[in-house]
Amino acid sequence: MTAIPAAERSLRRSGAWIAVSLALVAGVYVRALVFTPEEATQGLAQKIFYIHAPSAWVAFLGCGIVGVCSLLYLFLKDPRLDLLAASSAEVGTVFLTTVLVTGPIWGKTIWGAWWTWDARLTLTLFLWFICLGYLVLRTAVDEPGRRARYSAVLGILGALLVPFIHVSVLLFRTLHPKPVVLQTSRPQLPGSMLTTLLVSFAVFTIFFFALLARRYAWARLREARAQGEAEAADASR
Amino acid sequence: MADLLAQAWAIAAKDLLLEFRSRTAFLSALVFTALVLAIFNFARDPTAVATIDLAPSILWITFSFAGVLALNRAFSLEKENRAIDGLLLSPASRTALYLGKTAANLVFVGAVEAIALPLFALFFNVPLLGVLAPLVLVIALATIGFVTVGTLMSSMAVNTRFGEMMLLVLVLPFLVTPVSAAASMSAKIFAGRPFAEWAPWLKLLTAYDITFFVICTLVFEATVEE
Amino acid sequence: MPPVNGGYMVAAYVAAAVIYLAYSAWLLWRSRDR
Repeated sequence: MTAIPAAERSLRRSGAWIAVSLALVAGVYVRALVFTPEEATQGLAQKIFYIHAPSAWVAFLGCGIVGVCSLLYLFLKDPRLDLLAASSAEVGTVFLTTVLVTGPIWGKTIWGAWWTWDARLTLTLFLWFICLGYLVLRTAVDEPGRRARYSAVLGILGALLVPFIHVSVLLFRTLHPKPVVLQTSRPQLPGSMLTTLLVSFAVFTIFFFALLARRYAWARLREARAQGEAEAADASR
Repeated sequence: MADLLAQAWAIAAKDLLLEFRSRTAFLSALVFTALVLAIFNFARDPTAVATIDLAPSILWITFSFAGVLALNRAFSLEKENRAIDGLLLSPASRTALYLGKTAANLVFVGAVEAIALPLFALFFNVPLLGVLAPLVLVIALATIGFVTVGTLMSSMAVNTRFGEMMLLVLVLPFLVTPVSAAASMSAKIFAGRPFAEWAPWLKLLTAYDITFFVICTLVFEATVEE
Repeated sequence: MPPVNGGYMVAAYVAAAVIYLAYSAWLLWRSRDR
């Protein structure tokens, strides 16, 4: 019964964190757009990196958390691991979506095409598919224990699939050279740009964990309340 | 070990016997595959692209459809009779259950492919005889990769809402590696390229099969635990 | 002289902001304490 007040407290705390991190993201926007110099070869489009790359980092982090929690769940059977994996998948999907939206906008300016079947792009797309499949699967199973087991299985298989897709795309690309120039080896960023990028990485990481904490606290609260209701029903019988 | 294989064999034999008696699923899968091949003929511009360039795509899209159909069969079989409940009560181990189901699905898909392949050669005028051995190897490896994951997913999809749709959403991302590997290798084989050119794909596909076979066997228990 | 592609930059920043604000708002609304 003590679980409910604790979950309520962490729900309130995470709300404050989301507010703080949104303000920090706004700060990154101002710093990137106003106080960071324009890059010489790519122009203003290069600034897309300041939100694109950090989003990609936390999206992959989120997917990694899903994989690790799924694996641990099958051994430990702790429902908290399942809830954390589910929360991480949802938040990770949001960041993946941003990556998939901002990436092509940058690609259009530099590669000349909205979409190319570049290794990282393709991998991100399929991660997105797997994450969506994971979230859809969770809505399609009612019984919590079974939902947790099924999601864990998909989480593990999905994590295993990632390296295979990566190698597939690399092989595909070396065997079918593309006319578009894909080698975009990023030059060493000058100081102030690097600072902006690093600050952005830090801020997005905080933002991710704030959203994750909120989503997780909410899931915990719902579970604790459902359990409390079930116990009350048992007691009154 | 021998015990495990005997149990798996019993389960596979039961599944296949059931299929052999009615033949509905097999025949419909076969007709479906033939239809897809025939429709493909009209979905291309014969003056623009040489058939041989398109052949690997046609082959692997058709086989992917056939594979998905086979998984749907395994799925609806379980759904209709709740056969899995009976199997879970039997002394057969969970691992034997998975191996048996996978073997039955493999035989089913293999049989459809065995008939569809000559049909494909006939319709699209692809000379198969000279390249049969490497092509069969590629088809076998890709089918194993697809069926190992698909059997596991269909055992989960049975217990979900909109199960058939769920099965597709779950299984299609896992098709990327087998299909891209198989299609690339088939293209090289049809073009008569040396083995060294498609060896990396062969390695990748073999690694995929081994990895997913081992992992699916290990985690299958989690999908049927009550 | 760098290329002029500020429009793309603005589009990307706006798109990201919309996604993040929408999700944050949706999450906070769903999980509000009743």
